[in-house]
Amino acid sequence: MSHLFEHYGASGQGYSQPEPMIPTDDIKIPDSLVRSNLPRWPRISEPEMVRHYTWLSSRNFGIDTGFYPLGSCTMKHNPRINEVIAQLPGIADIHPLQPEHHIQGTLAIFHEMQEMLGICAGMDAVTLQPVAGAQGEFTAIRCIQEYFRSRDELQRTKVIVPDSAHGTNPASASMAGFEIVEIPSRKDGRIDLDALRSVVGEDTAAMMITNPNTLGLFEPDIAEAASIVHDAGGQMYYDGANFNAILGRTSPGIMGFDAVHYNLHKTFSQPHGGGGPGSGPIGVKSHLAEFLPGPVVRKRPILPGDKITAVNHEWWYHWYEPEHSIGKVQQWHGNSGAVIRCWAYYRRYGNQLKTMSEHAVLNANYLRHKIIEEAKEKGVSDLFCDGAPVDVAKHEFTLSLAPMKEKMGIGAMDVAKGLLDKGYMAPTVYFPLVVPECMMIEPTETESKDTLDEFAKKFVEVLQEDADTLHNAPVTTKVRRVDEVYAARNLTLSYQFSE
Amino acid sequence: MPPRLELTKGDYMVDQLPNLGREKEMLEAMGMSSMDDLFADVPEPVRTVGELPLRGPQTEEEIISDARRILGSNVALGDRVSFLGAGLNRNYVPASVFQLVTRGEFLTSYTPYQPEVSQGMLQAMWEFQTLISELVGLEVSNLSVYDSSTAAAEAITCAVRVHDRKAEQKNTVYISELIPPARMSVIYNYTQGGGITIKTLKHNDDGTLNLESLAEARGSCGVYLEQPNPLGILDGGLTKVKEIIGDNTAFILGVAPVSLGIVEAPGNYGVDIVIGEGQALGSPITYGGPLYGIFACTKAYLRQMPGRIVGKSIDVDGKEAFCLTLSTREQHIRRHRATSNICTNETLIALMGAMHMSLLGPEGLQKLANRNLAACYLAKEKLSGIPTISLPHLKNSHFNEFVIELPGLAADCLEYLDTQGLIGGFDLSTWYPKKGNWLLVSFSDQTKSSEIELLAAHLAVWSASLVKEVTV
Repeated sequence: MSHLFEHYGASGQGYSQPEPMIPTDDIKIPDSLVRSNLPRWPRISEPEMVRHYTWLSSRNFGIDTGFYPLGSCTMKHNPRINEVIAQLPGIADIHPLQPEHHIQGTLAIFHEMQEMLGICAGMDAVTLQPVAGAQGEFTAIRCIQEYFRSRDELQRTKVIVPDSAHGTNPASASMAGFEIVEIPSRKDGRIDLDALRSVVGEDTAAMMITNPNTLGLFEPDIAEAASIVHDAGGQMYYDGANFNAILGRTSPGIMGFDAVHYNLHKTFSQPHGGGGPGSGPIGVKSHLAEFLPGPVVRKRPILPGDKITAVNHEWWYHWYEPEHSIGKVQQWHGNSGAVIRCWAYYRRYGNQLKTMSEHAVLNANYLRHKIIEEAKEKGVSDLFCDGAPVDVAKHEFTLSLAPMKEKMGIGAMDVAKGLLDKGYMAPTVYFPLVVPECMMIEPTETESKDTLDEFAKKFVEVLQEDADTLHNAPVTTKVRRVDEVYAARNLTLSYQFSE
Repeated sequence: MPPRLELTKGDYMVDQLPNLGREKEMLEAMGMSSMDDLFADVPEPVRTVGELPLRGPQTEEEIISDARRILGSNVALGDRVSFLGAGLNRNYVPASVFQLVTRGEFLTSYTPYQPEVSQGMLQAMWEFQTLISELVGLEVSNLSVYDSSTAAAEAITCAVRVHDRKAEQKNTVYISELIPPARMSVIYNYTQGGGITIKTLKHNDDGTLNLESLAEARGSCGVYLEQPNPLGILDGGLTKVKEIIGDNTAFILGVAPVSLGIVEAPGNYGVDIVIGEGQALGSPITYGGPLYGIFACTKAYLRQMPGRIVGKSIDVDGKEAFCLTLSTREQHIRRHRATSNICTNETLIALMGAMHMSLLGPEGLQKLANRNLAACYLAKEKLSGIPTISLPHLKNSHFNEFVIELPGLAADCLEYLDTQGLIGGFDLSTWYPKKGNWLLVSFSDQTKSSEIELLAAHLAVWSASLVKEVTV
């Protein structure tokens, strides 16, 4: 194994730069601030640096490497044109403090994105500022909080989440200062309306829920849940993590939601980048619009004196600060580079975004069907069951490997590691928490039927392996099962220099 | 391969959807007859009726053509002579960084939940943590938060979690009065839920921190300052801060990472938590995002810090391996008791940072810092020579930027400079309403000496015309 810090070449080796424009020896900074020791960074030439990171990349698995059925994460193909566009100087080399007449192009694209996202979710106003899904949740909950403050409804201190919710939901609401009320799901994985009725009241600020839920199932009673919350005076918040399943078929607005966040890095193909960057715009109904973080983009007809450019001969795009804005959640205008990529993605589908969602759902149901059929044929159907009863799944589905665990002592994690040996990324495991030995599978719309057929076959092959093989899996990967307990007990969070 | 259905109008998406044309075959395998069957569980009253009222689909060639036209209408910094900074400075990112970061194994991977097939990104982030630790002089770094504003906010809530129990000033933090309002607004949004009281620290007329006012912060949970401060001043007085506030109050410092090539590592003068805007190392400005926030601290804050951390471990064969660690702090495990709600972060931009840092090396960083310093000092010399403008903090040391006081409104000056093809700087009345005549001018490694001459010439002309008007 090679570490970056073992490359420690000749002094001064590294990237070559022009000389400072004036000698710096005579420039005084306060004595107490003069750096005593330079950082022990590596000293490497460009070929060594390129080879190091290329080597590291060879030890990493991306969508480009192979099938990545990581449930809840929507690991769809990332079109490369988006990367090319994001490097154009008109986005990469502009500054958030430039005047409006310098950035009409960016504002035009932001405006188009605000409108498009509003239409897709059935919302009246959109801000692109939040930089990740969790920050979008937090932002929307803050808007709801200020909305109630403006109405003197200070007693609304509780946010309701189902026990199957993403962890970010309770974490975001709690950061905003709300108390969390968790309600149990029904045995079939759906929302329990009686449980909901029993907790709503004058102290309810909002309910946070995703639909399809984290089991990949559409909540048929969602409209009823919305009326229960609304009748109690609360707001409905839609976690957009699973938005990829429903575009053009239904919308949070129609279901009765007041606010929604979008994960542009899921639904609109911003690459996940090993953990980020993302982008988490939010949309709200009109009664919350003036609470959005500012500024948002608006347009007006062009007026005499406007500095016209190629894009604004009809409309002038300008910033607008919402009247009761909660302020900012990121210092500038959010992850603009991600928004531009997702604009390019949207342009590919336009009004046909529905087809994208249909194919996501088609692929998920087809894969589930193939796995079940294949397991029947190979006589291993008794090793798993549905995470919850399903007629038709949405963009993802859950399987419980509890029967296998009971019979052979093999759990979801062992099967996941077995799949790594077959050359696949493992599905999400042990989430949602309500399904024992859960495996959550989301193929996305960008996988071919052939890939799905092959995966179903290999998945069942893994189920047929003996217990020892799976306990020992993976064996074909760069390292074998990593000891996470050791990492936590022997914390080594940086390179230990020998001196 | 079985024959596909004939593709028709609207099949622009054929390059993205491998199963376009195979729907029937797949549906039939499941005993279904139409796409509608897949949505039979969506109750009729909540179904969307008709088509989304959006424009039609486009091909890749049409999209890039539109993108070039629309984004091409923007004025890029590179098209002009620019002195606009205010926290985000023009920089050069080596070509190899852009080339490497688009490798699909990095670009298209998720958070490394399966360490056996994610050693590349895990090791790269562990190396990033080491690079940052070395840069700031603190033992612990996470693998990035969103940006410097959210890093500051997260540092403040972290400090409160660590110190509140023993604090005399409960749930209270002190922040420099110079903090830009947008950054302050982010901090407010992140801290209001916990009911954290924010008090301000005064600065002297020369822009340095008033150390007497700082004494009030003793017994609070934390103090947040910046070095260089928002006026571009390197403040030697900050080396005395820890002594004044004591062990039970966190010293949180926001830094410009490039400056640390010549400025002392904050860990060496008592800083407990360092945050910063990573952008200048590795990333273009990109209209203010994506950036990456640096978050580093001493071990005392480790278990209360936000974000993901990579640890070194071993695999079952005893071979060195990396994995995410200390995740019991995080939202997916701790839910509403998590130290932060952060999940998606800025890993890929941090990776660009790591690549740039490893290419620079120690002496390269020092040289980069000196190039920034040299540009700033040449500008100080040239602009202070103009009789009609003054530099209110002339005697202080600066990095990247400084304030000039004009004989008229900074807003008017910027408008004039714009007509001359210059992006002249930042109108400080946006931050400090009483300072209508203050212009913040920024210089970086990308500034040319001829550009400084040009700025000086235009400022002299504009100021002189104004002074003449006044005297007439």
